[in-house]
Amino acid sequence: MNKSLAVAAVALATVAFAGAAQARDQIRIVGSSTVYPFTTAVAEQFGKAGKFKTPVVESTGTGGGFKLFCAGVGPDHPDLTNASRAIKKSEFETCAKNGVADVVEMKVGYDGIVLAASKKAKHMDITRQQMFLALAKDVPQGGKLVPNPYTMWNQIDPKLPAAKIEVLGPPPTSGTRDAFVELVMEAAAETFPELKELKKSDEKAFKKAYSSVREDGGYVEAGENDNLIVQKLDANPNAFGIFGYSFLDQNSDKLQGSMVDGVAPTFDNIAASKYPVSRPLFVYAKKAHVGQIPGIKEYLAEYTSEKAWGKTGYLADKGLIPMPDSERKEWAAKINGLEALKM
Amino acid sequence: MAENSSLVRSTPAAMAARLKRRYAAETRFRLAGITAIALALGFLATLIFTIFSNGLTAFVQTSVKVEVAFDPEVLGIGNDRSPDALAGANYGQVIKESLYKQFPTVEGRSERRELVGLVSSGADITLRKMLAANPALIGTTQSVWLIAGDDIDMAMKGHISRTPGADGNRLTDRQLGWIGDLERQGAIRKGFNTTLFTTGDSREPELAGLWGAVVGSFFSLSITLIVCFPLGVATAVYLEEFAPKNKWTDIIEVNINNLAAVPSVVFGLLGLAIFLNFFGMPRSAPLVGGLVLALISLPTIIIAGRAALKAVPPSIREAALGLGASKQQMVTDHVLPLAMPGILTGTILGMAHALGETAPLLMIGMVAFIVDIPASPMDPAAVLPVQVYLWADSPERAFVERTSAAIMVLLFFLGMMNLAAILLRKKFERRW
Amino acid sequence: MTAQTAAASLADRRLAKVSSRDVNVFYGEKHALKHVDLDIRANEVTALIGPSGCGKSTYLRCINRMNDLIENCQVTGSLSLDGDDVYDKKVDVVQLRARVGMVFQKPNPFPKSIYDNVAYGPRIHGMARDQAELDEVVMSSLERAGLLAEVKDRLEEPGTGLSGGQQQRLCIARAIAVSPEVILMDEPCSALDPIATAKVEELIDELRENFTIVIVTHSMQQAARVSQRTAFFHLGELVEVGDTEQIFTNPQHPLTQGYITGRFG
Repeated sequence: MNKSLAVAAVALATVAFAGAAQARDQIRIVGSSTVYPFTTAVAEQFGKAGKFKTPVVESTGTGGGFKLFCAGVGPDHPDLTNASRAIKKSEFETCAKNGVADVVEMKVGYDGIVLAASKKAKHMDITRQQMFLALAKDVPQGGKLVPNPYTMWNQIDPKLPAAKIEVLGPPPTSGTRDAFVELVMEAAAETFPELKELKKSDEKAFKKAYSSVREDGGYVEAGENDNLIVQKLDANPNAFGIFGYSFLDQNSDKLQGSMVDGVAPTFDNIAASKYPVSRPLFVYAKKAHVGQIPGIKEYLAEYTSEKAWGKTGYLADKGLIPMPDSERKEWAAKINGLEALKM
Repeated sequence: MAENSSLVRSTPAAMAARLKRRYAAETRFRLAGITAIALALGFLATLIFTIFSNGLTAFVQTSVKVEVAFDPEVLGIGNDRSPDALAGANYGQVIKESLYKQFPTVEGRSERRELVGLVSSGADITLRKMLAANPALIGTTQSVWLIAGDDIDMAMKGHISRTPGADGNRLTDRQLGWIGDLERQGAIRKGFNTTLFTTGDSREPELAGLWGAVVGSFFSLSITLIVCFPLGVATAVYLEEFAPKNKWTDIIEVNINNLAAVPSVVFGLLGLAIFLNFFGMPRSAPLVGGLVLALISLPTIIIAGRAALKAVPPSIREAALGLGASKQQMVTDHVLPLAMPGILTGTILGMAHALGETAPLLMIGMVAFIVDIPASPMDPAAVLPVQVYLWADSPERAFVERTSAAIMVLLFFLGMMNLAAILLRKKFERRW
Repeated sequence: MTAQTAAASLADRRLAKVSSRDVNVFYGEKHALKHVDLDIRANEVTALIGPSGCGKSTYLRCINRMNDLIENCQVTGSLSLDGDDVYDKKVDVVQLRARVGMVFQKPNPFPKSIYDNVAYGPRIHGMARDQAELDEVVMSSLERAGLLAEVKDRLEEPGTGLSGGQQQRLCIARAIAVSPEVILMDEPCSALDPIATAKVEELIDELRENFTIVIVTHSMQQAARVSQRTAFFHLGELVEVGDTEQIFTNPQHPLTQGYITGRFG
């Protein structure tokens, strides 16, 4: 038994180091879970063509993806990263510090964040200001910030439903939450004179004010699984959910999206930038890996092809809101020309 | 006289009351036990029922019969019949043309798009395989059953409403009408979903399968078994039979017991730091996954092994030693074979536990969209619980039932492993 | 030194197969065996008797160094087999135990077949060159243990399937198979019924022709039946040793007298 153990140990060690030495021939992508459905769809189509292996796509979150992406250059590091927001300057600098010099920024389309409820409930038309009043931890009242006193929607505005405020939404670790806070809470906060004052005097306190969501039961962190939120909304017609447009699209027979600032969350409205709660989605690529890892250029070509990200492309079928025609052309040229990002 | 015996004479009232209370307490205790079991079985039944009722329909897949014309011009191959040409031919267009012909009244771009949506976007693979097997079909028209699109499949299974005019329906009224037409022609049917068991992951639910995850799990668990069985048994034997009983072995024992209780995600971090960053092993590979799972299972096997070894009676050991066997011979020839059933049971249960681990694999990159079936433990792969997690997060309606189906497959393997453990134990049970 | 051993003549010592001089055994602080001088003669059955806890099993287990298995057990003094010190550092315990076999109180056959039980010893000591020789060793051991007739048709069956008495005889066969010089028996019949006991006692009598036997027994009648010499232990000390007949009819020491007549036990 001793001899066979020694042999096994040697074999394992050989394999371990051999694994290190072999060059990677498969594209590796990490990053945002919001962009994941789209990047994976492109990866699958790309692989089906048969010339290259299907890329491996991990869903690590936008921040986690940047950490991995900016860790360095070489087969041990990912080639592309998905992001539900633009790269931050600090992340860009980390990249540069670790040798990731040329980063190609790819805007691939838009995503809408909707406030949805069961079709059985009455349709809602709400403003971002009202959403802030419903969901913030502290709301401005009579000149100062007080803990959120509103328990029913119609206390905020008699036109809103006479129902308890119950919103299921993403946890703080989610990129969707970050986007929601920026597009709704921050935007709404700036319309209140008390908070505008606060922004001028204490930037930090202002940030805390708009990003703190109520914890008394009005807002329920429903985890990262949006399918679960959909199920709960189906069971509870008084509750609302916050999630990406693709889930509304896939469940349009059960759910309806609320109008925000008078605009309905439809494909056309988001594409035309009329719906206010929408954000661009990005993919970032390492120019240094092009040529080292086979297929990156071809993958980018597939992503920027009309049949993928066009108005009637397969990504639109999956819920990605495409950019307007001119914007698409512009970005396609930038991406296929591997234009490096400058910050 | 019998009537005067202290047993027959009526017991005093206090005694009777005490007896009554004791019996009442016993009855309550028994009721509590029965209620507990009933509750537990109730939860189990609810769980199984929910999963099965959700997942059973996933084992069935709708297909649509299309009169496919293998027109070489449409295929774009002309006179070329080489395998490369056949592989790269435009099967998608062939399907489109065949559908247009089958529904000649359909005109207009958006209408035609809806028509093509009846069939899966991956149906071209079926045609490619047909021609690769039999190039003589070129120029002929064949009736082929093609996989239906996922929304069509959902409608046929009743998960999407088939009433025309329903607000927000994923299928247009036209598509609902065509489904009705196909039904009347007998050109739409439900069959066993072989795709689920033969293909890897896909973004299209009707093309998604578990085979990649099953192979990934198989490779991972094989590596785990190969590493932690000999290592675990040898450690248990050394600690139980050969190690001197001093402070150091006490510390080791305490540490091993604690390791068995460490959350498994910590082992994932360890795997990331050592296997991926230090040794540079390929990311997302079952090799690394197997090693991480081995680290998790090792304490379990060591503890089970030690318990099994302790259970071997000292009389057997003395008999062997008395005959002049050395300590190692005593352990190898007598103690280990007798402890083996217990060790095997512990190993199988450890493996069953490892089969369902997901969190540690997240750290080493095995929670990823991987389409290709792994050919070796070094190719990137997912495992069954990871596939469940990924599908649970996908918005497409058809993935809901497939998630439950994946859970059913996972539970099946777990059940088989537990059954093997029970049978082994029964077979080798010894009476001293 | 007791009077007995002081009077041991050189002639006696030459006959001694196992010879102990001033053997002491300590279990930690407890002094379990005190200053034992005893000679076991070759081809004789020597019985060790005495009340519970008097140290007879302890002494027995010194001879084949089974006490080594117990932690905190210390043995001092000299104990020799054929003149060679058993506790010498260079002694290979494995070899020693091939020369000094042991049969235990509760029959403990291996959970293997009857054949494999008996064959195990010869196998590990490499005593048989081929299968035929091994077969022969097994058969003759079983025969000498008086078991062959009863089991010759079922040698592949597990040893644990036999009756108590048969199992003990199997253990004896197993011990004989390695051709030891001395066989130590620690109350071999205490777990057996009278008929099985009689069979084993008969066997012991036959075996002494080829082996030296030391038997610890609780039963004075058994000691009187099977042994030629008897040693009486009391509270860790060897009180008296002599020819069996003499010990039982005319004991010299008052303690021996008291034990024999049943005044204490």
